[in-house]
Amino acid sequence: MDKGVKIIGVTVVLLLIASVIAIFLNLRKSDNTYVVILQDNEVIYSFNLSDEKDRTFRIECPNGGWNDVKIEDGKICIIDADCPDKTCVHTGVLRYQGVPIVCLPHKLVIRFSDKENS
Amino acid sequence: MKAGKLTRLALLTALALIIFIVELHFPNLIPLPGVKLGLANIITVYAVYKYRPKEVALIVTARLILGALFAGNVSTLMYSGAGAILCLAGMLLFKKVIPYRYIWLSSVVGAILHNTGQVIVAILVIGSFAVVSYYPILIISGCIAGAFTGICAQLLLKRDLHGQCISKEVK
Repeated sequence: MDKGVKIIGVTVVLLLIASVIAIFLNLRKSDNTYVVILQDNEVIYSFNLSDEKDRTFRIECPNGGWNDVKIEDGKICIIDADCPDKTCVHTGVLRYQGVPIVCLPHKLVIRFSDKENS
Repeated sequence: MKAGKLTRLALLTALALIIFIVELHFPNLIPLPGVKLGLANIITVYAVYKYRPKEVALIVTARLILGALFAGNVSTLMYSGAGAILCLAGMLLFKKVIPYRYIWLSSVVGAILHNTGQVIVAILVIGSFAVVSYYPILIISGCIAGAFTGICAQLLLKRDLHGQCISKEVK
């Protein structure tokens, strides 16, 4: 085996191990109930899920397009969007601190907030 | 460029597009932005080892633009474009280091670079580091998908080389 191939192989394996560790750190279930919704990196909604009433609302994107966000039983998810791939819909309910719901075409991020801000 | 070569490149582009569109109809096992099997990259890997860098770039560019148009999702062009540029640059560089027997490894490196490009563009577009948490997941899925497409391309090239040897002997 060539030296070059070896170096590349080892680098790839190291990256893989680092990724597995990072995923385990990320995938711990969050007991945090404070959620923020960011659009274009600006907070447009911020709430405590355990106090929120069940409801569905639409977030419009300034450049056109929308996402329907649903809150139910203290859980939040995107139930519909007008983009073709609907990745944010398939992502499902927000569960993990490290895995936000992201809609790339509409620059929308739903994630748990770091601090218990109001 | 000779007509024969142009036809072959066009044929490869068409093949890659067909694979791309068929793959669109597969349900996504891990519904996160950027996670994908990327079967069309079998053609990319094949082309990297068979044609000149400029010709590979032509195939990939045509596939990206037409693919985005056919899928009706032009906004993803930025992400796939950045990924493809980084991936191609890396693979063409590593082609000199990685021999034919380890093409799958080259494909894995390409996949990792592709995902890196996507994440960088996503950070720039969204303007926050929220998407970085996807990066480890993308690396692992990229390695698996890259290894798979790489093995497919390697088998293809092996047949190709074999076929060429035979046709030379016959002549």
